Amino acid sequence: MFSRFLDDYNFVSSCKKYGLGLWQCPNFLFLMMGFITIVTMVGTYFVSSRFGNEGTTIMSVTFEVAIIFTIGSFIIRGVERVAEANIMKTEFISIISHQLCTPLSAIKWNTEILETERDPKECIPEKQSVFLGNIKKSNEQMLKMVTDLLEVARIDQGRAVFEEKPLDLANLVNESIEGFQSIVAEKNVKIEPQIEPNLQKVCGDEKKMRVVLDNLIGNAIKYSKEGGKVEIKLGMKGRNIFFSVRDWGVGIPHFQHSKVFEKFFRSRNESRYRTDGVGIGLYLVRAILKHCGGKVWFESKAGEGSIFYFSLPIVK
Amino acid sequence: MDGSLAKKKILIVEDDRALQSALAEFLLQEGCETINAFDGEEGLQKTEAEKPDLILLDLILPKKDGFEVLAEIMKGPNKDIPVLILTNLEDLDNVQKALDLGAKTFMIKSDLSLRDIVEKVKENLPNADSNK
Repeated sequence: MFSRFLDDYNFVSSCKKYGLGLWQCPNFLFLMMGFITIVTMVGTYFVSSRFGNEGTTIMSVTFEVAIIFTIGSFIIRGVERVAEANIMKTEFISIISHQLCTPLSAIKWNTEILETERDPKECIPEKQSVFLGNIKKSNEQMLKMVTDLLEVARIDQGRAVFEEKPLDLANLVNESIEGFQSIVAEKNVKIEPQIEPNLQKVCGDEKKMRVVLDNLIGNAIKYSKEGGKVEIKLGMKGRNIFFSVRDWGVGIPHFQHSKVFEKFFRSRNESRYRTDGVGIGLYLVRAILKHCGGKVWFESKAGEGSIFYFSLPIVK
Repeated sequence: MDGSLAKKKILIVEDDRALQSALAEFLLQEGCETINAFDGEEGLQKTEAEKPDLILLDLILPKKDGFEVLAEIMKGPNKDIPVLILTNLEDLDNVQKALDLGAKTFMIKSDLSLRDIVEKVKENLPNADSNK
């Protein structure tokens, strides 16, 4: 307990971690400011009570305020550096991801050409087409990761494109489930969709709504145990469409609940079971739903599984 | 084969050879005639010389970028040729700018398969309906 307290207040190591010098580190500077304020206050009281000289009192108060403002300017500079580093990081991710998009798209299109060859003499043998399929699958994984990273950067910088048109969520949910067929078969997970008939439409961007559904349904399948079950519900309540997806998989420990929707968050439980993913799926889910006027929340217990919910307003 | 693409002349303005050759091959299989340009200036020259039925235009290009090419086409006598943007620059500003300049649609390479692109080409060809 005590060592944890000391770790929390170890400014030298935390400043080193942020790449800031001691005189740019807000934690340290705030402590210094507090310390100097106390010392000068006490000093001022001592001087004014002992000598009762108004001039000296004013001088020492002015001196104290000057020191506090100087330290304040150091703090602002430190915060600016952290903010600049954050912008640079987002731009860096954006540039790298963008540069990766062209060769990844080229792999995607060129494998498609090999697959769709019509001339039987030019067709690749069956054995090789298995390996071509592997290349295609890996490429799709990479492309998804890169496009998700780009989307995060765009959302962070307010440059994301949101198309707004009425969407039939039931269709999108079914299509998303369809897309996971091979993983579902591989893990022997049973998907149980309960979709109310004749649901009204919601307003949103189709491509982005697919990202939301693929992430939520994909996570539930990914963290289910072999032979497990995933329950998907879609229904209407008042002026909203409600979606939920439940799994009985690894779950998220309670102490990590507040971080689930943060960027680059990966549950400790998660890394024990799987290693892929960069931890931006749920961050995207929340950002997209928020933009569409919706909400997302969850319930989870380590070892017992999770339920993720979202609601979206029905289009008028 | 749908038939609506047969003998149509498509100009592909794309500087990445791996992307360009796959796209050209796929369109060729669909029965199109393809013309290739590897930079913005060449794209403009070939638009003028070949009068294609449709242009697939990348945005980041050597010599003249896609926006400049698009603006020049829209100012000139070939402004009725449909121009489809095919890029990975999916930013609000870029999408808006290209559509304002007169592009028919904006497509993101990494999102689409060649089959999807061909469908978009069919949708945007002039008199597409009468060819069906």
